[in-house]
Amino acid sequence: MADLIQLLTNGLALGSVYALAAIGFVIVYSATGVVNFAAGQFVMLGTFAGVATLLNAGWPMPVGYVGALIAMALFGALFYLVVYLPLRSSPIVTVIIGTVAIGITLQNAALLTFGSWPFRLPSPFEGMMLEIGGAVVSVHAIAVVVATAVMILLLWLLLHRTAIGIGMRAVAQDAKAARLMGLRVQWLLAFSWILGAVMAGVAGLMLGPMWFADVNMGDPIALKAFAATVIGGFGSLPGAIAGGLFVGLAEVLGASYVSSAYKDLIAFGVMILFLLVRPQGIFGEPIQDRG
Amino acid sequence: MAPRALALAAFLAIGFALSVSVSEYSLRLLNLAAISAVAVIGLNFAFGYAGLISLGHAAFMGLGAYILAILTTQAGWSPWLAALPAVLGTGLAATLIGVPLLRLKGHYLALATLGLNVSFGIVAANWIEVTGGTNGISRIPGLALFGHKLDSERPFLWLALVVVAILAVVASLVQRSRHGRAMMAVRDDETAASMAGINVTAIKVAAFALSAAYAAIAGCLFATHVHFISPDDFNFAHSITFLSMLIVGGEGRIAGAIIGAALLTFLPEWLRVLGESYLAFFGLMMLAILIFMPTGIVGLISRWRRPARGATPEAPAPATEGVRS
Repeated sequence: MADLIQLLTNGLALGSVYALAAIGFVIVYSATGVVNFAAGQFVMLGTFAGVATLLNAGWPMPVGYVGALIAMALFGALFYLVVYLPLRSSPIVTVIIGTVAIGITLQNAALLTFGSWPFRLPSPFEGMMLEIGGAVVSVHAIAVVVATAVMILLLWLLLHRTAIGIGMRAVAQDAKAARLMGLRVQWLLAFSWILGAVMAGVAGLMLGPMWFADVNMGDPIALKAFAATVIGGFGSLPGAIAGGLFVGLAEVLGASYVSSAYKDLIAFGVMILFLLVRPQGIFGEPIQDRG
Repeated sequence: MAPRALALAAFLAIGFALSVSVSEYSLRLLNLAAISAVAVIGLNFAFGYAGLISLGHAAFMGLGAYILAILTTQAGWSPWLAALPAVLGTGLAATLIGVPLLRLKGHYLALATLGLNVSFGIVAANWIEVTGGTNGISRIPGLALFGHKLDSERPFLWLALVVVAILAVVASLVQRSRHGRAMMAVRDDETAASMAGINVTAIKVAAFALSAAYAAIAGCLFATHVHFISPDDFNFAHSITFLSMLIVGGEGRIAGAIIGAALLTFLPEWLRVLGESYLAFFGLMMLAILIFMPTGIVGLISRWRRPARGATPEAPAPATEGVRS
């Protein structure tokens, strides 16, 4: 029982990170239609933005986090200008390859800046443990779950209670109609990229203390975020959350109860199964991209 | 001479001229380029003609390579004989996978094939009794022809050039056949194709299986050239590279597949003079090529040569689906 509580906490914490990474991916996809294969590198950059502010610059915790997220917001805006705008009317394969290409550039740039030696990003709850029902769990893991819930709540409020969020949803539903209604579509699309980058940044800052900050961490995260997105339902935010939590729990519980070697096969197997049987995922609506 | 025969003769002449003039290191790269070219000509059936986005082609290459490696090292088969079940087995596997999977389109198919490639890697790395795990399979015997071993780079390149040429001719014949036109019809408009009496599913599965068989041939060449395979050789990143080669060269064109494979094999090597940052430049150059040459190198050349006919128009960007937040 104690083991199970510990595993569930760790699984939910990891799942929360995947969920935030998937949310960042889905926000961009819903608004712009771009399948961003550099999504994993966004999370990696989030972790290393934290390395730059907290470790290299030595800023105190709250200031360092805010600084890292501001850097991620600027990065999202830059990505919108340099990658999205030139590729926006390209076929989907070109966009996939283009985002992969820029992902290679980002990874190499991080390697040149930070080196190949992994960093240990500190947590505000460094070394703190909590005993629940006989199980010892790290406070950081619980904080990750709580912070993710708060982020999701803030995102919901943004999308449903503010003009900019409602505008974003309008653009996602029908960009042409949104433009005819006088919405500033280009600004809203740029804001989607910024929001997606900030979400990835939060995921990266929370993941840093759980894994080592390594410039090669992007690809595994991207693959998990894709699996989470497909399982939950492409383009659905509740789906990204459910899918992320599922993938995180499957990884941690699978490693412990099934096989540590084949733990990742569960997530991808379930993803392929969903694509075959229910490609709209748990929460998605019937999709048009299906024969 | 017909333009196609001329292109074929030019390909063989350039390949042979390079094979007797360049350094040992460049010969090795040329061999890798030729092996990639086989896989990319194959991918052109699935993506270039039938419009199926596959990010799992490295897995098919790996499946072919592993079947050949296991049969030669454990059962003592000759590599020529082992290549037969490797290619046919991979084609069969692609058929079985394709029937349920190819109902998917666009990025759904891309992610499903990506998931397959990742799953293949996990199995290859952990099914140690059969695949040797992450240590891979070593001491794979090389090919021999008429008693001559093709172990060194130059003779292997001659074989690889001939294989590429033969497979390019076959691909060209398929392209111009009823079936090739059916693939393109399915790519351009599925509903119209099925109204014209084309069995859409069968054509898609056939294109997918044929392209997987080409990938398996590439895998057999790779295994007999390097004599060692491991799961990393067939990582999903290689699938993305194959697709990049096709897009950069010019999708739907056999010459594009070959030029793209050669260019993307050599480009990172040329950029090595930039030192540690060469991959950053490589990524930016790829992005620039995609932005400024949307129809690829071959598309650009043919547009410049025949401005009146022009290249095939780009498919319109997929409509954005509704948000469900």
